[in-house]
Amino acid sequence: MKWLEGNLVSPGGKSLYGERMCAGYRVWDPRRSKLAALIVKDPDLDFTPEMQALYLGGGHGTTVSHLADYLEVVYAVEIAPRPFQDLLRLSRGQENIIPLMADAGDPAFYAPFVERVDLLYQDVAHPSQAEIALRNRYFLKPGGTLILMLKTACVDSTMPPEQVFTEAVGKLQHGYRIVRTHWLDPYFPAHAAIVAMVSSTPDRV
Amino acid sequence: MLRYWFERLDDSPEDISTRNEKERGNWPPVEGFTPLDWRTTVDRGLFGTRQEYLSFLRTLCLAWGERRLSSALQEGDERILRMVQTLDEISGMIDHLTGRLVDWYGTVDPTFTRKDQGVQERALLARMKGGGDEIFLSCVEEGEHLLSLRNALSREVSLQAEASYPNCSALVGGLVAARLIARAGGLERLARMSSATIQVLGAENALFSHLHTGSSPPKHGIIYQHGRVHAAPRNLRGRVARVLAGRVALAARLDYYRETLDREFVKGSQERINRAGKRT
Repeated sequence: MKWLEGNLVSPGGKSLYGERMCAGYRVWDPRRSKLAALIVKDPDLDFTPEMQALYLGGGHGTTVSHLADYLEVVYAVEIAPRPFQDLLRLSRGQENIIPLMADAGDPAFYAPFVERVDLLYQDVAHPSQAEIALRNRYFLKPGGTLILMLKTACVDSTMPPEQVFTEAVGKLQHGYRIVRTHWLDPYFPAHAAIVAMVSSTPDRV
Repeated sequence: MLRYWFERLDDSPEDISTRNEKERGNWPPVEGFTPLDWRTTVDRGLFGTRQEYLSFLRTLCLAWGERRLSSALQEGDERILRMVQTLDEISGMIDHLTGRLVDWYGTVDPTFTRKDQGVQERALLARMKGGGDEIFLSCVEEGEHLLSLRNALSREVSLQAEASYPNCSALVGGLVAARLIARAGGLERLARMSSATIQVLGAENALFSHLHTGSSPPKHGIIYQHGRVHAAPRNLRGRVARVLAGRVALAARLDYYRETLDREFVKGSQERINRAGKRT
């Protein structure tokens, strides 16, 4: 990962959504992007230019655009029309983003377009986030990585975040081997990042 | 069997995706799932390099995304939803502006207070036109302008709601029907909601504070705006709201699946709601 003057940056030529620039690099703000927050907390993470990613819950595309600066290609899935409008605009300006307006819980809809990827990144506001990650693990290459941003309040706002987290990890173990986890405080309270790999003997879900 | 996008280049992406209907309900597919491998396209002579493959796929997905987006944004619900949000925003602006102007006018006429002028914004604004300098009067006129704008927009919302949601509008009026649908996120969503959810739609703060701290649950949300709920005696409001919500749930399904006004249903519903509001 690239750091400049204490800022996490991504190697894009120009500012795409109003982010600051730093010596020709785009500043990637950990207060705005959960992935940036995770990179700040987890120095072992690394992205290389030959990697492909399937990005579930692309949102307005800000994080997508930074990730795409590091990778070969990003398949970005987003279902909500308003955010997708912005994602589409960003995709037009960046050659390695492939936008798909589809529901991340319905992989068969976009499966005809998506190849095997090294990174499955998921950031969706949905009660069954663990199930969505399990349904999408067939897109991961052997040895590929899942990064799941768990929004605990979306699963159950009345349960303590730690309990939601434990339950989600339990479910994920039906198809993934958990590598490490981080809470994203202070940048994103009640959000956990789960880094996992496809387990060699996946159960059917 | 799941098909990859390049197997039938004549078909639109939408067709390719929806043809996988069977797999969609049954994921992963029973026969097992093999994600596509771009190299097959080279073997078939479709593309020469990975660069060509990706750039073609990207162009295809950009165009597809645009089509899907415009059909999603042009659904009737989406427009009415934005109109309701704008209407509520304008109401808030009128409220804030009037509040500021009353304070400002107080410096011109110290005996002027809101208390004895009533709460009708139009009357309040008209009374403030008696004094103040030019710039103050311009602000008051702006407030009056916003009031007429709100009336016009609210009429338009009602009219469109009556056309699009005849049964819901007949029960609770076009404006409240539009608000309910806006809050539910579309008619389809409202038609799938339980009446218990509809009853507290718009009272999310009270509902979550009930779930978190055990305070008493809300009796009603948006449907409180319906005359028969807020006119009902306090101890009966919960009951009226509950019956009305049940009827709105049915009306939403009629509007979604049948799309025509069912007079029998509306008449029967009115009677049930009236009965709920009477002391027994």
